[in-house]
Amino acid sequence: MDKLTILLPATPLLSALLIALRADLPRRSVARLSVGFSVLTLLLAAASLALYLVEGQPQWASFGPGWGSLYLDPLTSVMSLMVAGISLVVHVYSVRYMAEEPGYARFYLLLDLMAMAILLMVAAGDLVTLLVAWHLIGVLLYFLLGHDTTRPAAQRYAFWTFLTYRLGDLPLVLAAVMLYDTYGTVALPTLFERIAAAPDAHTLAGLPVLGVVALLVALAAFARSAQFPLHTWLPYTMEGPTPVSALMHAGIVNAGGFIINRFAPVFVHAGGVLHLVFAVGLVTAILGSILMLTQNDIKKSLGYSTMGQMGFMFVEVGVGAFSLAIYHLIAHGLFKGTLFLGAGGVIGNARKHDGVPHDDVYTFVVERKPLAPRLPWVLAAAITVVVPFLVLGASRWLMGGDSVGEQGGIILLFFGWVTGAQLLFATYRLRVDSPWRVMAMIILSLIIVVAGYTLIEHGFDLFLYPDRELSERIYAAASLPLATFEVLVMILTAAIVVGWLATYYAAANGRTGRGDASPLRLAFYSLISREFYVADVYAWLTQATLGLSRRLNVWSRWV
Amino acid sequence: MTLLLIASLFLPLFPLSVVLNGALTKLRHPAAASALLLVWPQLGVGLLQLAPHAVPPYVVPWALLTSGLYALRLLTVRDMGRWAGFLATSGLALTWALAAAGADLADLHLFAFWFSLPPALMALLVHPLTRRFGAAYAGLQGGGVARLPRLSGALVVTVLAAVATPPFPGFFGLLRVLHALDWAGAAAGLAIWLVWGWAATKLLQGFLFGAGRNAPGADIGRAPTLAFAGMLGAFIAAGLYLTGGGL
Repeated sequence: MDKLTILLPATPLLSALLIALRADLPRRSVARLSVGFSVLTLLLAAASLALYLVEGQPQWASFGPGWGSLYLDPLTSVMSLMVAGISLVVHVYSVRYMAEEPGYARFYLLLDLMAMAILLMVAAGDLVTLLVAWHLIGVLLYFLLGHDTTRPAAQRYAFWTFLTYRLGDLPLVLAAVMLYDTYGTVALPTLFERIAAAPDAHTLAGLPVLGVVALLVALAAFARSAQFPLHTWLPYTMEGPTPVSALMHAGIVNAGGFIINRFAPVFVHAGGVLHLVFAVGLVTAILGSILMLTQNDIKKSLGYSTMGQMGFMFVEVGVGAFSLAIYHLIAHGLFKGTLFLGAGGVIGNARKHDGVPHDDVYTFVVERKPLAPRLPWVLAAAITVVVPFLVLGASRWLMGGDSVGEQGGIILLFFGWVTGAQLLFATYRLRVDSPWRVMAMIILSLIIVVAGYTLIEHGFDLFLYPDRELSERIYAAASLPLATFEVLVMILTAAIVVGWLATYYAAANGRTGRGDASPLRLAFYSLISREFYVADVYAWLTQATLGLSRRLNVWSRWV
Repeated sequence: MTLLLIASLFLPLFPLSVVLNGALTKLRHPAAASALLLVWPQLGVGLLQLAPHAVPPYVVPWALLTSGLYALRLLTVRDMGRWAGFLATSGLALTWALAAAGADLADLHLFAFWFSLPPALMALLVHPLTRRFGAAYAGLQGGGVARLPRLSGALVVTVLAAVATPPFPGFFGLLRVLHALDWAGAAAGLAIWLVWGWAATKLLQGFLFGAGRNAPGADIGRAPTLAFAGMLGAFIAAGLYLTGGGL
C-alpha cells in the first residue's frame, strides 16, 4: 500500500517531466502520453481505495527527515479517486478542445503538475508536505488560468485568483508553525494523538491554541473555497480555458472542505469556530445564489452557483456534518465539471436559435395556444410546505435520529425543505397539460433523491469516520445552546411557511414583480449587478498600495 | 556593536542597504552583479560570527521593517536588475531574525545563500534580455512565452525560486524564520511573503504576457537552458536535503 501511495502523486509528476523533456513531440503524442498517465493514475487511485477497504487501517509512510510523508486514510483514498477521475475527464476533454490553442504541451504539463499537487495535498502525511502542496496548487492555477498569454483579461483574473490563494496560504502556514511550536511534531497522526491527549494544555495570549489554529485553518479554507468576501475571483475563472474552469469548479475549489475535514481533530475543540464557519457558509450560500440570478453569462452564472454550493458545503461543516461536506463536494464536483464542459455546447446552441423566451405572452401571441391549467394555489402551497417536510422527516426517522447529529440534522432538514419546496414551486409555475401527473412525478423523484442521499451519506459517514466517538464529538462541538437553537428554529419555520404562502399567492394572482420597480428594488438590483462592490473595494486597495509603492520609489530613488 | 553595525551593511538593513543597491546599479556587467549578490551576504554572516555581542532584540523589528519596505517597493519596480537587488535586500534582511533566535553559523550561511542565489541568477538573465530588447524592463516588450519560450521558462522558474515558492529552499528557510519569530513577527513575515508573490506576478506579466510588438528574436540555446534547469534542480535538491523541511 505504501508503494501505491507514493505512485499516486509520482505518476502525473513523471508525465509532466516527460512532456518537459520531449516538448518537441507532436501534439497528438503529447496528449496520448498525458492521457495515458492519467488513466494509470485513476487505476492506481482505485487500487489504493480497494486495498484500503481490504486492509482497513490507515497507513503513514515517511520518505525524508521529519517531513515528506504520505498518509493513507479513508479521506485520502476517497479524495484521490475523485481527483484522479476528474483529472482524467479534463485531460480527455482537452485533447480536442485545446487542439487549436498555442502552448499545447505547456498546457498538458501544467495539468499534470496540478494533478500531482492535488494528489499530494490530499495524501500529505505531515504539515510541511501539506503546505508545499497547498501552495503549489495556487501557483500552478495561476499559470493554467493565464494560459492564453495574449488576453489581458485572462492575466488579470489569474492574478486575482493567485493573490486570493496566497492570502489563504498565510493562515495555514501560521497554523502549521503554531501546531509545531505547541506539540513538537509535523507528522499528522502523531500530532492528532498529542492533541487528543492534551487539548487544553496550551494557551496563546489567553486564548486556547487549538481555537486559534482552527480559526486560521478556517480562514485558509474560506479563501480557497471562495467564501464571502473572498469570492470575487471564482466567477471570473471562466476567463481561463474551459477545461481549467471545469477542473477549478469541480475539484480545486473544494480544498476548503477537505482541509477542514483533515483537521477534524482540531475542530472538535473549537466549537465557536464551527459556528463562525456556519455563519460564513450561510451568507456565502445566500449571496452566491442571489448573484447567480442576475448573471446573463452561463459560465459566470455557473461560477456563482459554485460559490453558493461552497457556501452550503461550509454550512454542513459548520453544523458538524463533516462527512456530508465531503459527499457534497464529490457530488457537486461531478455535476459541475460536466456542466462546465457542456457549457460550450449550450453557448453554441444558443447562437443557432433565436433565443426568444417562450413565456406566457409569447405562447399566447405567437403560438396562439391556450394556456395550460395550473393546480389551485392553496393546494399547491400546502403540498410545497408539507411534502418535503414529510419526506425529509421520514428519511431521517428511518436512518435513526442521530444519523446526522441532532441540531445539525435539523438545520440540514431546513435546507432540504426549502430546496424541495423550490422544486415544487417551479413545477407549479410550469404550464403543462397534466399538472397532477407532473407533480406526482416530481414528488416521487424527490423521495428517491432524498432517500438515496440519506443512505449514501450515512454509509459515507461510517466510512470516513469509523471512530464514532470523534464524529459525535464534532456534532457536539458544533451545537448551539438549546434555547437559542429552539428560538431560531421557530423563527425560521414561521418565515419559511409564511414566505411560501406569500409566494404562491403572488404567483397565482400575477403579482410576480411585473409592475414598476420601486426605488428600493432598483437600489437593490444595482447593488447585486455590481456584485456588492466587493471587487471595487479590492481594486481601490490595490491601487492605494501600488500608489504607496510608487511614492516610496520616487522618494528614495535608487536606494 | 561596531561589527554588528558593519554586518548590517552586508546583511542589509535600511538605510545601510543603500550601499548594496547602489553598487548593483553601478555594476554594468551582469556576472559582476551576480557575484556581488552571492558574496556580499556571506561576508555579513562572517562578521556576525566575529561579533562579541549577541544580536540585540530591537534588530528584529528593524529587519522586518527593512524587508517590508523593499517588498513594497518591489511592486512598482520594472527594471529586472534592480528588482533582483530589492528582493535580495528584502530576503537577506530576514537573516537577522534567525541570528537573533540563536541559529548556528552554518544555518545562517545557508539561509543567506537560499535568498541570494535566485536573485543572482536573475541578474544573469538581465544580459540575454538586454541583448534582445535593449533593456530588461518589464512591460516594454512582453509576449515572451510565445517568442522566447526557453528564456521565459528560465525566467519563470528563477523568479519562483526567488520569492520562496516551494519546493525551493527559500520556502523552507522562510518557515524557519517564522518559527524563530513571535506571532506578530510571523504575521509580518507572512505579509512580506504575500507582497513578494504579488510583485513576482507583476514582473512576470510584464515580460511573458501580451502580444510582442517586434519581430521575434532568437531564443537562448538548449545548453544554457539545461544549465539553468540543472542549477535550479540542484538548488531544490540541496534545499530538500539540507533544510529538513524547515520546521
